[in-house]
Amino acid sequence: MVELDHQFTSQKSTDDTFSAIVDLDRVIPAVEGGKVLERTGPDSAKAEILVSMGAMSLKFVGSVEVIEKDAAAHRAVLKVKSREAGGQGYANADVTFTVENGGGSVHTAAQISGKAASMGEGVVSTVLDALIKDFTGKLGAI
Amino acid sequence: MTPGTYRLGPDDGKLTVRTGKTGAAAKAGHNLLIEVTSWSAELTVATDPADTAMWLSADAGSLVVLEGTGGIQALGDDDKASIKETIEAEVLKGCSIEFHSSNVTGGDGSFNVGGELELFGSKQPLSFQLSVTDDKLAGSAKLNQSDFGVKPFSALFGTLKVTDEVEVAVDARVGVNA
Repeated sequence: MVELDHQFTSQKSTDDTFSAIVDLDRVIPAVEGGKVLERTGPDSAKAEILVSMGAMSLKFVGSVEVIEKDAAAHRAVLKVKSREAGGQGYANADVTFTVENGGGSVHTAAQISGKAASMGEGVVSTVLDALIKDFTGKLGAI
Repeated sequence: MTPGTYRLGPDDGKLTVRTGKTGAAAKAGHNLLIEVTSWSAELTVATDPADTAMWLSADAGSLVVLEGTGGIQALGDDDKASIKETIEAEVLKGCSIEFHSSNVTGGDGSFNVGGELELFGSKQPLSFQLSVTDDKLAGSAKLNQSDFGVKPFSALFGTLKVTDEVEVAVDARVGVNA
């Protein structure tokens, strides 16, 4: 299990930022390589993420679901369950967002197996950290 | 080698580039052996090494990945084709690649060649050892991409990078005088 914490800033109101985060059509494409394949419910979607490693890439396909949504506390938890396309690996994560005035925080608890995990937990953590930093850098604009 | 002017190209041997990988996620990447499939060179061998000279011109659109080692999975043909596209579109961008010697010393089959390499739109000095026998020419040069004003290619949010230093090698048969 890799656990990471990030902060982000936003010029928008707390309500607007929170609304964007729980809108899967807006939040999933904010992840580099992320794409909604199909909406499966008001708070769930089938999605994929293509992690480019230069020439090669790893694709994970699975579900993203908003499993907790507290509009009053501006807190939401998104559950990601995915499998590596054409491989044996998986990438699962619980991502907790807490929105405050001017920004917020993101706590990620991820479990990754397969080819990506073969790089070692330290490398996975470093790459995931970079991916989430990129993601949080976009959160204020979605 | 008999004094004279010799022309060389892909039919005579190989011009290759070796790249390495670095960064926190280096394990995910591959060390590449790349062949330049369209190039031409001319070697003028004089009795006095000071009058010996060479130039080489390479087509930036002709690089082909021969092999990739390391990485978390083997490179397939699609991956190699993708790397070729990336090199052409994002790295070389059709730039002129030319080397012209300006100072050659040594002799007896081993020359120290100094000159200027044009790459990424920038000209920088480059020197290397060149072994020349009656029927073969071989040599390699290491160069830093940053010396030419280029930031090495990176992926995975900068955690996987091509090393700044790459090695260019030529190994070719030397035919008849041009």
